[in-house]
Amino acid sequence: MKILIILLLFIMLPGESSAQSGYIEVTAPGSRMLKLAVDAPLLRTASLSADSVKLIPDVLTFDMNMSGTVTAETRPAYVTAKSTSLMESDFAPWLNAGFDLLVRSEITQTGDQVAVEFRLFDVVNRKVTTSKRYLGTASDLRRFSHLFADEILRVITGEKGAFTTRIAYVSTQTGNKEIYIMDWDGYNPLPLTKNHSINMNPDFTPDGRQIIFTSYKRGNPDLYRRSLSNTAEVVVSKRRGLNITGSWAPDGSKIALALSKDGDAEIYTLNKDGAAPVRLTVNSALDLYPSWSPDGTQIAFVSDRLGKPQVFLMKSDGSNVRRLTTTGSYNVNPRWSPKGDKIAYSRMSSNGFNIFSVSPDGSADRQLTTDGNNENPAWSPDGRFICFSSKRSSGAGVYVMRSDGTGQTKVTHAKGTFFQPTWSAH
Amino acid sequence: MKKLRVPMLAGLGLVALFIGGCAGNEAVKKDSAAVPAAVTEKVEPAIPAKNTDANAAQMAPQIQPAQSEASTSTMNVPVEARLETVYFDFDKADLRQDTRDVLAKNADTILKTLAERKIQIEGHCDERGSAEYNLALGERRAKAALKYITTLGVKEGNLSIISYGKEKPAVQGNDESAWAKNRRAEFVVK
Repeated sequence: MKILIILLLFIMLPGESSAQSGYIEVTAPGSRMLKLAVDAPLLRTASLSADSVKLIPDVLTFDMNMSGTVTAETRPAYVTAKSTSLMESDFAPWLNAGFDLLVRSEITQTGDQVAVEFRLFDVVNRKVTTSKRYLGTASDLRRFSHLFADEILRVITGEKGAFTTRIAYVSTQTGNKEIYIMDWDGYNPLPLTKNHSINMNPDFTPDGRQIIFTSYKRGNPDLYRRSLSNTAEVVVSKRRGLNITGSWAPDGSKIALALSKDGDAEIYTLNKDGAAPVRLTVNSALDLYPSWSPDGTQIAFVSDRLGKPQVFLMKSDGSNVRRLTTTGSYNVNPRWSPKGDKIAYSRMSSNGFNIFSVSPDGSADRQLTTDGNNENPAWSPDGRFICFSSKRSSGAGVYVMRSDGTGQTKVTHAKGTFFQPTWSAH
Repeated sequence: MKKLRVPMLAGLGLVALFIGGCAGNEAVKKDSAAVPAAVTEKVEPAIPAKNTDANAAQMAPQIQPAQSEASTSTMNVPVEARLETVYFDFDKADLRQDTRDVLAKNADTILKTLAERKIQIEGHCDERGSAEYNLALGERRAKAALKYITTLGVKEGNLSIISYGKEKPAVQGNDESAWAKNRRAEFVVK
């Protein structure tokens, strides 16, 4: 048995663990939360300091705790072995400390090239569950850690994680509303726009490589598209009046948005280059903020056709309009979940804004936030999390919570006001 | 409209206590959830509109907040040709009687001294409500103001509108007196 374990360590086939993913039944009713220990990285032939690699267990612990699937802690090593391999006897202290799972990592460095090897151990059964090796530079350590957190989540749940995805948002930290992008956990924030104008409502293309957004940079609120890898921006729609709340269709072929070129704000679809507008709503009320269902057949949107803004649904050709939200007098910001089973939105009441979720048939309407003002929910691509902007006693920022409202955590680190976060695709 | 009276009067009392009744009237009319917004502004002729009697008691003659001189609208324009900012109720683009009075004054000024100038009407909202919905609401306000002055003879070809939603408040503050000053349409002479 011992030999087999050691052999597996060096094989590292990506698919080898998938058959075992059912062994941890985290969702089984009554089962306690599994405990995951993240060991300090083992530095082998690396000039990196122990401090500079501490982020590895920190990232893994943060990601796995946020996932809600395990309770994770960073722990000092019980074993001072010279490799990430564990002998059968090495599991005992981890088991005695109550852990079910253990992550160990080993860093080797050749010149600028850094390789990180991760292993996930099943402490109870004393075996390696999965292992991965990533190659890059020292600046990739966060990304490698997120990648392995995705792998742990895949092993535990069988689903692809979203820990390497990013969030675009609007911030006023320079005095103007500019668009920024950051890792989902708030690290590596980067400004995208620097036009000293008003920029708002970023939305990622389905491939995650570009965003569309509305900007006043040429005077009128027009819709622009820009790449995340360079600064080139192109106009998508500069029709007279509003060109706002653009939303990519899931297949990337169309953009839904609100235009007021024909009078008041109405929902249209455009080809992805901005041509060929097709009007979906026809009435004298305000219609805006379209959000596609994941299969592209339906669109949720905001309309005040009954007097106050409420969330409505329609087929993506504009037919079969029906009201979704029936409680509350001011419901806005709908976003359809990637699995299609929920629509998140924000409701304004006398207590300010809070995030809710509801099934597309109007049932299971649920309040997810209660503290402060919470607006503009957006789903992670795996549907596990919702990000939103919040102003609350624990600080203003972009927050992330699980889709059931648990685990609300501020992920932005800078001071300032944050608006309209949106989550990239995988 | 009748339903509004009680909260309006109560609000008026409060505001009057604070500002001694000098300029608080626009701060009075609270939003009433029971009244659906008029979907499209029905443009009334310049004669006093039908809701005058309902509102007259609450609406004192001067309507402008003291510091409302819009800086942008006063550049390159002689003093006698300055256009005044008009104000709206929460979540509404309906033209109140005081708003109509000021619009009529602005229309007169435009016809007399700015007939050939391009004028942009900016719609604005207070900080409450969603940023996106307020963009559309601000546009509705600018449009209501535009329609009204065109019925008074101002050439539509010289007018344009833009909405800034709640992005450019005239004054900072989180109370009704600040909100009332921010729910507005400004006239910018180009």
